[in-house]
Amino acid sequence: MARTRHDPVSTTIQRDERPGAAEDPSGPLLKSISPKRRDQRTPSQAVGAFFRRALLSENFILYLTIIFFVVASIFFTTLSAPRNITNQLLNMWPLLAIAIGQTFVLILGGIDLSQGATMAITSTIGGLVMSTALDASTYDKSPLWGTLISESGGILGQDPNGWAVAVVVMLLLGLLIGWLNGTMITRFNLAPFMVTLVSSTIFAAFALWLTQSRNVANLPEPFLLLGNGDIISIFLGPKLNPDIARRDVLPLITYPALISLGLAVLAHFLLTRTSFGRQMYSVGTNRRASTISGVPSQRVIIMVYMFSGFCAAVASILYSARLGIGQPSLGSGNILLDVIGAAVIGGTSLFGGKGTVKGTLFGVAFFVLLLNILNAMQLSPFIIDAVKGGIILIAALLDITRTRILNRGA
Amino acid sequence: MKRRTINLRTLLLNNSTIVLFIVLFVYFGIQSPRFLSLESITNIVKQASFTGIIAVGMTFVLLTAGIDLSVGSNMYLSSVVAGLLMRQLGIGVVEGLLVAVAVGTLYGAFNAFVIVRLKIIPFMVTLSTLVIGRGLGTAFTQSQQVDFPQSMLSFGQIQLVGIPMPIIVFALVIAAAWVILTRTQFGRQIYAVGNDPEAAKKAGIRTNWVIARVYIISGFCAGLAGFILISQLGRLDRSFAEGREFDAIAAAVLGGTSLFGGVGNVFGAVLGALLIQMVQLGLVFNNVNLYLQPMIKGVIIFLAIFFDSLRDANMKKLKRRFIRPVETQTPS
Amino acid sequence: MTRSTILTIEHISKAFFGVPAVRDVSIDVKEGEILGLIGQNGAGKSTLMNLVGGVVHPDAGSMTFRGKPYAPRRPADANDAGIGFIHQELNLFTNMTIAENVFISGFPRTGFGPFKFIDRAAMKARTRELLDQVGLDTPPDFQIERMSPGERQLVEIAKALYMDASLIIFDEPTTSLTARETEQLFNIMLRLREQGKSMIYISHILNDVLRLADSIAVMRDGQLVTQEARDAFDTRRMISLMVGRSIEQLYPTRTSAPTTTPLLELKGISAAGIVEKVNLTVHRGELVGLFGLMGSGRTELARMIFGLDRTEQGEIRVAGEALKGSSARDSIRSKIAFVTENRREEGLLMNIAIADNVTLVALPEFARTALQILDAGAMREAAREASQALQLKAADISVQPAKSLSGGNQQKVVIAKWLLSQPEVFIMDEPTRGIDVGAKYEIYAIMDRLAAAGSGVLFISSELEELMGTCDRILVMSQGEIVAQFAREAFSDEAILRAAFREHAPLHPHSGETEQSS
Repeated sequence: MARTRHDPVSTTIQRDERPGAAEDPSGPLLKSISPKRRDQRTPSQAVGAFFRRALLSENFILYLTIIFFVVASIFFTTLSAPRNITNQLLNMWPLLAIAIGQTFVLILGGIDLSQGATMAITSTIGGLVMSTALDASTYDKSPLWGTLISESGGILGQDPNGWAVAVVVMLLLGLLIGWLNGTMITRFNLAPFMVTLVSSTIFAAFALWLTQSRNVANLPEPFLLLGNGDIISIFLGPKLNPDIARRDVLPLITYPALISLGLAVLAHFLLTRTSFGRQMYSVGTNRRASTISGVPSQRVIIMVYMFSGFCAAVASILYSARLGIGQPSLGSGNILLDVIGAAVIGGTSLFGGKGTVKGTLFGVAFFVLLLNILNAMQLSPFIIDAVKGGIILIAALLDITRTRILNRGA
Repeated sequence: MKRRTINLRTLLLNNSTIVLFIVLFVYFGIQSPRFLSLESITNIVKQASFTGIIAVGMTFVLLTAGIDLSVGSNMYLSSVVAGLLMRQLGIGVVEGLLVAVAVGTLYGAFNAFVIVRLKIIPFMVTLSTLVIGRGLGTAFTQSQQVDFPQSMLSFGQIQLVGIPMPIIVFALVIAAAWVILTRTQFGRQIYAVGNDPEAAKKAGIRTNWVIARVYIISGFCAGLAGFILISQLGRLDRSFAEGREFDAIAAAVLGGTSLFGGVGNVFGAVLGALLIQMVQLGLVFNNVNLYLQPMIKGVIIFLAIFFDSLRDANMKKLKRRFIRPVETQTPS
Repeated sequence: MTRSTILTIEHISKAFFGVPAVRDVSIDVKEGEILGLIGQNGAGKSTLMNLVGGVVHPDAGSMTFRGKPYAPRRPADANDAGIGFIHQELNLFTNMTIAENVFISGFPRTGFGPFKFIDRAAMKARTRELLDQVGLDTPPDFQIERMSPGERQLVEIAKALYMDASLIIFDEPTTSLTARETEQLFNIMLRLREQGKSMIYISHILNDVLRLADSIAVMRDGQLVTQEARDAFDTRRMISLMVGRSIEQLYPTRTSAPTTTPLLELKGISAAGIVEKVNLTVHRGELVGLFGLMGSGRTELARMIFGLDRTEQGEIRVAGEALKGSSARDSIRSKIAFVTENRREEGLLMNIAIADNVTLVALPEFARTALQILDAGAMREAAREASQALQLKAADISVQPAKSLSGGNQQKVVIAKWLLSQPEVFIMDEPTRGIDVGAKYEIYAIMDRLAAAGSGVLFISSELEELMGTCDRILVMSQGEIVAQFAREAFSDEAILRAAFREHAPLHPHSGETEQSS
């Protein structure tokens, strides 16, 4: 073929004869062209190439977060204060947990609108069963009064290890809701959007019904540690007296950090190293072809929704422990935007087949930093909402620009 | 014998939403005969008109395989702007209505611009503008409740030959939407774009312009529905119309509109909105626990989409291409 | 007779990213003639047609259409000028009616100002006329959804007629048509030619081109090899011009002989309305062809064997063991492989790297420990080996997505994917569809190697010639039944086609197997 002379790689790219296929040069063309450009570039092109490389890097959002942080720290000194950093990290962990679950669902090409409701129901039920004392005048209208809960708290409230059982119950509940979603989606071929929307409505209402809208207090001490307990802490500054006040100690390694990062490592491992992960990407790319290739598509889908429910339950544990209450309204606000926003910023596609845990981790970090900066600017919370929406739009735009550049092959 | 049961099954499944509607309507009626009174029925239609109007707008969007999650916020923001102007500048109700509709339309136009020009997928765009819109509205009101002048309530009480104003507006919207979707070039091109955007482009349809217009229409409907709803309440607070987008999507889907584009019609959305509202009022009439109501509503929506999927499976089975004549089945 | 020229293409060139796709091509299309355009995949036919259609724009050269300079900027310009396209994938909106599809880009309207409504009566009346012209008696408000591929093709032609096209370009129009529908299409094309319309007909089926065309243009590597009157061609010459050398053999010689050990056995497989009492045996080392026209139940049967569709009666055995399960996974465990006819939708994960496609079926075999951890090294090695064995032409299989490959190489990826799970039975449904002559030869050679290694291959095709060139035995399917079978010595295209069309009484109804296999 005459083409070979120009470029050794192009022999592999016999153009597809479909109409329009010619304008869709992905992958290999990029490789065949970029070396040529590098040889003959001017300084301004070199700078352009540098930015392009940064933009295309899979760590792009990490770089952006760091730059953002450094620049913003100049204007808002509180931002880099150790106390602020540890606080922001505490904000980040639950969001990370739930975003990982959503990332899995998005890779599958689905969506899980019920994560917020899953948080609400697990927080409420977990709180109720492990509570050490419940006020009769507040809770006696609850349908569970007299059975699972009483004046001496929840059924597990008096057991010293009851909180651990309650945690297991919460996780199982998350898995159960995910299983329900996944089963409805696969067995009856229902749209994930509708299924999770309906289950969101039902479970959120269910949580409110259980406590008649009341928060559940008196959660056991060991459980609370899961939300903000620290394992290793540091104290910065002069040691003036032998007793360092608790609030001056900076938590360095905390339980929520370990839990969330542990979950992230597990998720990353599942996604990149196991056959389950491969099957997820393949089902998300083309379910029919996957099924014919022997991928148990239905099972993969159900398991992914279960994982999403599990992640929501983990986030619920972290939030409930941190707030110290079981909260039926947990996850009801704009959590969907935060979670999907973080995943999309991290490079996950809503069309399926694309996304990484690392990307989502960076996306969540970026998001938390962004909120922190907006707060530091002392904007009203409503304006912050508006700006947040705008930033997510910009992030989505950025992702599109990246993909476009990648496809253009330069 | 067998044939007839198959046909009955198909008939029931093809009209599952209507069947569900009738069954529930009769059930609520038996439980509480007052539910069947003219007054209560009028009330159902009136209450359904707000969701119905945005569901009609949503149908346009869903037909192109898009989604508009921002209609609830749009209803809020456009009413806030209209309300503030009415209070601060003392403009009249009609001017207020025009302002609300204009703001709603602009809101939709913004969605349209971002979707069409910046090529961001509708889900992300409208999810973002959902947050942006409510944030802006709350910032405008400083999170305070906005009270409308008394003239607003009297506007809301207008009747024409005994028919309440919201129902009349609803009917006008339905009629206009039906004409647009079935009798105009634009309407038919919406179906084409939803069925196959690539082919639509090849056929010389300006797909971007078609898509842009459906979001603008959805925004228009949201502005209108928001204002009409306010005219019944006389005031609005921070959480006004929150989550209405989901009711609208549910209504459209219950009426047979597909989330994947190209399938659906106006009357489906109307039926869906009526079903949702009828259930809501039916539960109230039957003194069902306030906390249980959303759960029951959720279950009924689920049933409707579930039947819809059964219908799809049934249709697929009926449409299966046979290669050879099927031998006549002996009745068992 | 001398006809005037309707379309002149002069020295046109187009390159993508520095790679020339069309180079200095000049072609004439005469008034009232059918021009056959042939060439391998990648020869530049589609790019050339996209240039004519205004989808892409030329780097150099010019076109003249009906005596005027013609430089379309958009597809709509081509339509306006009077050039209609009938693509392989139809551009019809299945959720709408015939009439709406015809008029979708411009409805007849009545009314004034902003209140313009579709004039439905006028639309229907005009559609009726157009449908009469293409010989379709379906009502204009019939939904496309409910029409067969052949009828849809006719609607496309009606659309082109409505646009008042004087030149209609057909790009592989018969791919999804039954024999009868193809025949009908050809008749209409011939009738249009009598009315003075010009047409360009692109196809891989050379006999069809010979039958229809008045003149034939051959392209290779982006260049025009020759354009001559039809009489100057026969199939052999066409192929050698397309390939650039004379091909001694279109099919590789079989290197092994089949054994008599049954491997895949179907006994009385039935499903109401689809297949009826199908008996079929594939022996170890045997390459069995399954011939049938489009819609004869071949693909449906293949899906049943692989467990994708339900059977109602009968038994399937692999190596003597009855197939128990009813899913793709069970079939894979029973060592069956299924190369589907639809690469794009059922064969490949287009956006995913080649290596990941190749290892997909055998994924469980690379999973270690209870956690199903993948052995990345082994996977890389296996993917590399498989793609080498099949001479897959790709730069880097671990990053390059499947969609970047040519049709032939994509098919090799599909085959490689199955090879990794070491199957014994290969069901190949139209494995050479849409791939060029050179790649076809390679696929045939792979099938021969599989058989030589002791596997059994069931090769489903609607191209009789390739079955006769490669198979040890051919079964003929018609209306869901196996109606005849032919041993290699008894291959005769006339007899096989007769059986497929059922012009003859079935030779061995319901049990075609036993008698002739001696």
